[in-house]
Amino acid sequence: MIAKAVIKRIFYSLVVLFLLITFLFFLIRLAPGNPADKFISPKLNAELVHQTENSFGINEPLHVQYLKFVSSVFSGSLGISYTYRIPVEKVVLQFLPFTVFFALTSFLLQIFCSVLLALFSANKINKPVDKLLAASSLIIYAVPSFFTGVFLIYIFSVQLNLFPSSGVSSFGNESFTWVERLIDYSLHLILPILTLSLSGAAMFYKYLRDEIEIEYQKPFVRFLKSHGYEEKVILRKHILPNALNPFVSVAGVELGALLSGAVITEVIFGLPGMGRLTLEAVLSRDYPLVIGCTLASGVMVIAANLFADLVKAFLDKRTLQGGVLQ
Amino acid sequence: MKRNYFSTGNFVLSLSLLLLILRYDFVLQIYSLLFEWCSLLLSDFLNALNIIDFAIADHFVSALLIIIIPLLVISLRAKKIFTEPLSYPYTIMISLIFVFLFAPLITKVHPEFQKNINVTKLLPPLSSVKVVHLNDEGKSKPYIRFQLQKNKIIPGSFNENVLFADSTKTGDDVVYYQRGDEFLISKKRVASIDGKPLITSKLFLLGSDEFGRDTFSRLVYGARISLTVGFGSVVVAFIIGSLLGFIAGYSGRWIDTMLSRLTEMFLTVPSIFFVILILALFGNKVFTVILVLGISGWMSLFKIVRGEIISIKKKDFFISAVMIGLKRRDLFLKEILPVIIVPVVVNLIFQFGNVVLAESAISFLGLGTGTEYPSWGSMIDSGRNYLSEAWWLIMFPGASLFAVIFAVNSAGRKISSSINLLK
Repeated sequence: MIAKAVIKRIFYSLVVLFLLITFLFFLIRLAPGNPADKFISPKLNAELVHQTENSFGINEPLHVQYLKFVSSVFSGSLGISYTYRIPVEKVVLQFLPFTVFFALTSFLLQIFCSVLLALFSANKINKPVDKLLAASSLIIYAVPSFFTGVFLIYIFSVQLNLFPSSGVSSFGNESFTWVERLIDYSLHLILPILTLSLSGAAMFYKYLRDEIEIEYQKPFVRFLKSHGYEEKVILRKHILPNALNPFVSVAGVELGALLSGAVITEVIFGLPGMGRLTLEAVLSRDYPLVIGCTLASGVMVIAANLFADLVKAFLDKRTLQGGVLQ
Repeated sequence: MKRNYFSTGNFVLSLSLLLLILRYDFVLQIYSLLFEWCSLLLSDFLNALNIIDFAIADHFVSALLIIIIPLLVISLRAKKIFTEPLSYPYTIMISLIFVFLFAPLITKVHPEFQKNINVTKLLPPLSSVKVVHLNDEGKSKPYIRFQLQKNKIIPGSFNENVLFADSTKTGDDVVYYQRGDEFLISKKRVASIDGKPLITSKLFLLGSDEFGRDTFSRLVYGARISLTVGFGSVVVAFIIGSLLGFIAGYSGRWIDTMLSRLTEMFLTVPSIFFVILILALFGNKVFTVILVLGISGWMSLFKIVRGEIISIKKKDFFISAVMIGLKRRDLFLKEILPVIIVPVVVNLIFQFGNVVLAESAISFLGLGTGTEYPSWGSMIDSGRNYLSEAWWLIMFPGASLFAVIFAVNSAGRKISSSINLLK
């Protein structure tokens, strides 16, 4: 029963992935200009132009192109990047580890801080401390991340000169001992991780806090209280599992967005992640790399959503029968 | 009943009055220009139509609206419109719309105006420079009256008849200093009033950027872009989302399944990548930006409309209305619309905040409207390079962006919490 639901959910993810590939194919075909234009000099004679175009498969009928595209995606060979001059998979694999590390660190930080703060304010709902926390979370959430990043650089790099403002490592990093290198990396990553995490943490906190507040008003809490259960037990065993369910779906979406690359943070701090790679690929019209990056981020998002749904099913077995997994 | 003096109507009135007092001479000049244009329209119809461009029309409309809007507010106040107590979201939204409508009155400086960059670049807020006005005697061509008046009023991105200087000294000739260098200019070249050379000072209220452009003026015109893109995309998202949601919820079965899967797919691509991809492939005109941001933001509206319609279809009041035999139009207007309108409006308000944020984010990345027009995002982006010398370049656009998004979010939250109380 559980296995069947999970398999159904995974199959459904694959359908979405397939739709994404189709969408991508048509989007790139619709765009003005074609991939071969970059390699055709105006001085080239007609025959050579034709040959060049043929090597990109542009003159073939659309369905043949589509089938070729789909088969190349599923066989994993996406072609050679125009700018990096190596296979797209290798380029993506070069940038992916950093993004995964960066995203997971930031995600865990967000979850940790928000859950901790939400639990802290759970039994102080509508007291001054809770109101202050809620108001500041709303304010932090409304600050655009690119402004946060630039502002943090202004305060900590320009004015206080505490942290470096860009890159992941200092110049001459190779000659450091591993302890120095570790310190160097973490000094470089503190500001970016802060930039990436602040608004997400504020959002998670507000979400979880509101859910806990709603759950507290439900009749079953009064019932438990009248039976003499401790506040702590009610919170941990009854309120939290109920409040976590919508929280997990939001977290899944956020994890997907983080894993597919934080463009703005990466651009501000000059980090070698998937977001900046995608941006550069798009700007330089490196079509194979664009496809590779979009697919990678699509797979990440789908996987994150799948993971969130599975966690939800684990938390609440009813979702297996209900709508979510089916 | 206690009267509330801090109402939205009074706020609009006081803003318009303030603007009128500050800029009364300018408004009068625009009216005289409008008068010239009307007389031109009577004598030379085709030429009058050719001569009008966006800047002129913009000035005319704002000069007319600055009179019309206060009158409108006063007349509507009798009907209890514009009497809501003033709150933070209202204040910000009214100010934003005000800036949108009256940008040419609020700032007389063209957002791209630059001259004597060595004097005017990276000036801190509230600093001022001397302006030496030159005679335009070099031109002997007979200008028609309209053109003369127009050039006086409509700010251009270039003006060859002014000089910016750090300080000036008037002797036999006019001496002016630019960054320590001394320059001489004959008195004949300088425009004069009552025999004295015309030297005024220009205040940079919020400083200037690396090209000597006025930050305040760019901020004001940037608000226009934010509001245009915001409203446009919300309309696009509303049309797509509610239409598809309605179709999916109403017809059900395979159409519903198909549209829901399509929505899931759109949700799968992180919207910022989708937007970057389309803007890079199809170019970044304002219209494209509006369309793309609208297309990337209709999914939540689709889900809301579809969900509401499906739940309404099962409700007793709807089934009985169908049984009674109401017409389709009545079914929609009387049974469906009142139920879905509030969640839809709340969603659109949040969507507006998201779009304003997204527009500045893509301008920050160099893909939005920021390359063509001043935009808050691109202002922050270019201010990034002068972080150590010029904090005002990022702080003012950042603060305005924050104020708008915070106001929109709190307005949306307020409305949605009042609905939850009703339920």
